[in-house]
Amino acid sequence: MKNFSFVNVENKADALEVLHREKEKSCLVAGATNVMPFIRYEKINDKTLINIRNLQELRFIREEEDKIEIGPLTTIYDLENSEIIEKYAPALREAAQDFADPTTRNSATIGGNIANASPAADTATPLLALNAVVVAESKSGVRKIPIQEFFLGVNKTALQCDELITVIEVPKNAANSNSCFIKLGLRNAMAISVVSVAAGVELAEGKVAHANVALGSVAPTPVRAKTVEAALVGKEFTPGLVEETAKLVTEDISPIDDVRASGEYRKTVAAVLVKRALKKSGKI
Amino acid sequence: MTKHEIEITVNGRKRRLTVKPNDLLLNVIREDLVLTGTKYGCGIGECAACTVLMEGKPVLACMILAVAAHGKNITTIEGLADGDKLAPVQQAFIDHGAIQCGFCTPGMVLTSHALLNENPDPSEEEIRDYLRGNYCRCTGYTAIVKAVQSCAKKNQ
Repeated sequence: MKNFSFVNVENKADALEVLHREKEKSCLVAGATNVMPFIRYEKINDKTLINIRNLQELRFIREEEDKIEIGPLTTIYDLENSEIIEKYAPALREAAQDFADPTTRNSATIGGNIANASPAADTATPLLALNAVVVAESKSGVRKIPIQEFFLGVNKTALQCDELITVIEVPKNAANSNSCFIKLGLRNAMAISVVSVAAGVELAEGKVAHANVALGSVAPTPVRAKTVEAALVGKEFTPGLVEETAKLVTEDISPIDDVRASGEYRKTVAAVLVKRALKKSGKI
Repeated sequence: MTKHEIEITVNGRKRRLTVKPNDLLLNVIREDLVLTGTKYGCGIGECAACTVLMEGKPVLACMILAVAAHGKNITTIEGLADGDKLAPVQQAFIDHGAIQCGFCTPGMVLTSHALLNENPDPSEEEIRDYLRGNYCRCTGYTAIVKAVQSCAKKNQ
């Protein structure tokens, strides 16, 4: 097999110490469900694997007054079965239900999923629609990265090589509590999405007060459908409005042809999924 | 590569092993411990033929480095029966003809066992959903689902 060294850490302080020491050679692993295939395909080599799987202090889902806090080592299984997530971020719960398969969900973590930053990452699309904030820590200190600035490209994030995600914050608000997620895949399990959509709308007297729409697998990173959102705000929320505005999503995406689908197909089906997600979120 | 000393509990027995960092739990189970019930299928986490239980939860042994399993409790298919007495889900697989070539079977049985521990009365949909990562090329899944259904509390 391939070359790497392995260090086990038992607490956050040790993790930050090793990250500081190893710098670019650092490769954090918990569930390792992306890292392992990458090693076997030699996409990652000569790294120091830092095993943080046992850092129970980073595995939590907490409710605060104005937000919920999710630890990076929260497994996808935890997300699926959390009452807090169901209440305040249902899009995340729906993403967890469609994620890989039940066995993988026991090991895969939300921190790993976003740090790996595949444009198809199932938790990334909801977090983008939920306006999440990623809290990253290193030996030098703590900083907050808004999710819109977190994904920089395919497998590229704003994290520095010595940083560890310690919290993912999701604000509490009506749009987030109404959020939903739809994933289109070529099979029922272990599918990398062809297109995924997360949407959350808040209605006030039948009009759109807030609209958040995010898509995955249609660009190098998950994206917000800003044209769709702008066309929705302030308008009367009807099936007709949804039909019209969903079509505008083609302005916000740049899908490619790949083994799973053509760019043309993705453009067509993205509008359909946005329409379905908006209807689901707005309950019409 | 520096070798690591690890201690894992497998089917109730504490085992101490010396492994390289890139040794897969799957290969350590099959080769060092000579427990060949756990199968090497795809090796990349897609088929679940390598399913074992870690702290009672199904995981893919081909996706876990042996060093990452240090200190953990592992159950392989060999650990399910109590001596000669098969676990109910094992007997059910036999009774329902849910085994053809047998390659997916250890993974299927362990995952089904974990499901029944979590949810003693699963519906057909819940069974199919829970097993959706375990691939079988022979049976078409019907007999497997029927076998697990027969173990549901309502059918006892």
